[in-house]
Amino acid sequence: MSQKALEDAFREAGGRIVAALAARFRDLDIAEEAFAEACSRAAKAWPVSGPPDAPSAWLYRTAERAALDLVRRRQVRQTLVPDPPEPEPTAEELMSADSAIIPEERLRLIFVCCHPAVAPDSRAALTLRLVCGLEIAEIARAFLTNDIALQQRLVRAKRKIREAGVSFEVPGPEHWPERLGAVLSTLEVAYSKAHEDAAGSGRHAGFAAEMLALTALLATMMPDEAEVQALAAIVRFAEARRPARRAADGAMIPLSEQDPARWSAELIAEARRYCGRALSIGSPAPRILNMMIHALWCGRRSLEEPPPWKAVLSAYDLLAGLQDNPIVTINRAVALAEVEGPEAALAAIAGLEPARFATFLPYQALVGDLLARTGDVEGARAAFDRALALGPGEAEALYIAARREALSGA
Amino acid sequence: MQYMLLIYENEEIFGGPEKSGPIMAEVGPKHFAFIGEMGAARLGGAGLKGTAFATTVRTESGQQTIHDGPFAETKEQLGGYYLIDVPDLDAAIALARKVPLGRDGAIEIRPLIPMPPGMTR
Repeated sequence: MSQKALEDAFREAGGRIVAALAARFRDLDIAEEAFAEACSRAAKAWPVSGPPDAPSAWLYRTAERAALDLVRRRQVRQTLVPDPPEPEPTAEELMSADSAIIPEERLRLIFVCCHPAVAPDSRAALTLRLVCGLEIAEIARAFLTNDIALQQRLVRAKRKIREAGVSFEVPGPEHWPERLGAVLSTLEVAYSKAHEDAAGSGRHAGFAAEMLALTALLATMMPDEAEVQALAAIVRFAEARRPARRAADGAMIPLSEQDPARWSAELIAEARRYCGRALSIGSPAPRILNMMIHALWCGRRSLEEPPPWKAVLSAYDLLAGLQDNPIVTINRAVALAEVEGPEAALAAIAGLEPARFATFLPYQALVGDLLARTGDVEGARAAFDRALALGPGEAEALYIAARREALSGA
Repeated sequence: MQYMLLIYENEEIFGGPEKSGPIMAEVGPKHFAFIGEMGAARLGGAGLKGTAFATTVRTESGQQTIHDGPFAETKEQLGGYYLIDVPDLDAAIALARKVPLGRDGAIEIRPLIPMPPGMTR
């Protein structure tokens, strides 16, 4: 069995197994260590004896035994630790159909990782690690940090969860307004990392695949929560556009210049089902409007059809009324520039303090674009230089550099 | 009269937020001796795990938010305390939200270091 086949099996089963173990033993470290142990045993055994018929079930049983060992060893070390919970359903019961670990286990783990008592910058990383089974190095890269720093952040978060007594139960629906908000924004952060990071390399496509799976799971578990349905739709709309996001030279293609023929019709159809569900439940939440903006863009059928700038601007107008958020102001200005012209857009962002946004890439890129259109070549060049100095991703850097080159007199 | 004795120390000398280092081994037994000495004067008390395990429910203009970390402001002062026994952090947060406040304020939730049986009071 090849190394890659092993890795695929580990990743495919990892999220579910870690979730099931964490829920059963109420301990994230034991779950992770036990799964790692099972993987290392598999890496030794499978190439020799061939993979088992049901690799996930094999991994689960092995990990479960390793977890019991770990619990026993810990009890010997510290007598104050309470007994492990009574064995719940056996591995065979849980895994009888190779891929059937109860989805609640993963949902539980998501709520643990996204608990408001966990530092916000740790929630997304913890979710990607434990629920999606991503490697530390992959997550560190997406969060622009190094392996050691990320590892420390995860260790701190897991200790906090254990020592502060974060519950492993899914909170009751009466707590969802607050708890679900943290879950959804964590998944959004996780997805946006995936989205940025995945612009090029194929290895990180799994990142996005996991987000599709997780949002689908949440949507199934919470069919009456409009924002859950909306997030499932948003991730699909955005993912559908991935094949059209980069030009042959690797440069980013802005949304309005992407060829809709290259978008995934299948994902758009899926997204629309979630979108319809979200709208039929009805909710005035900002996330619903964000979904509508995605839906407007993905409704474009060809490059010949004019971009839906007017409708997008109206949606941003509504959004700006709901939340005072500089990102909304910036995105609204992008649409405003197309509908009313660059001067109107510059006036709309005049209220944003330049110093506060000095290191915010979308702001600098927008200022560069607007100044270029008003003929302020010097101002535009300076803004593009500031944007490039911020170290954007490869695709964005190529795009901004090209815009800078195209300035007359450059 | 009843009084509360608040113990302020540099938590870093105790060997991490679990407070399981050598200084704890040195000071812990002294606390047990002191508990004996206080006798019936002692109504309760416990060690607290480090601030790394703190969660704070902050109220600002009627809005409550939950944060990872200890209370970290200087414009408010410790005004009282409740000792509670609940199944998990969520239950503790639920009660912390209901603690009456005059205006703005924060309730810091700190897990207790478990005490040996028979010494919890």
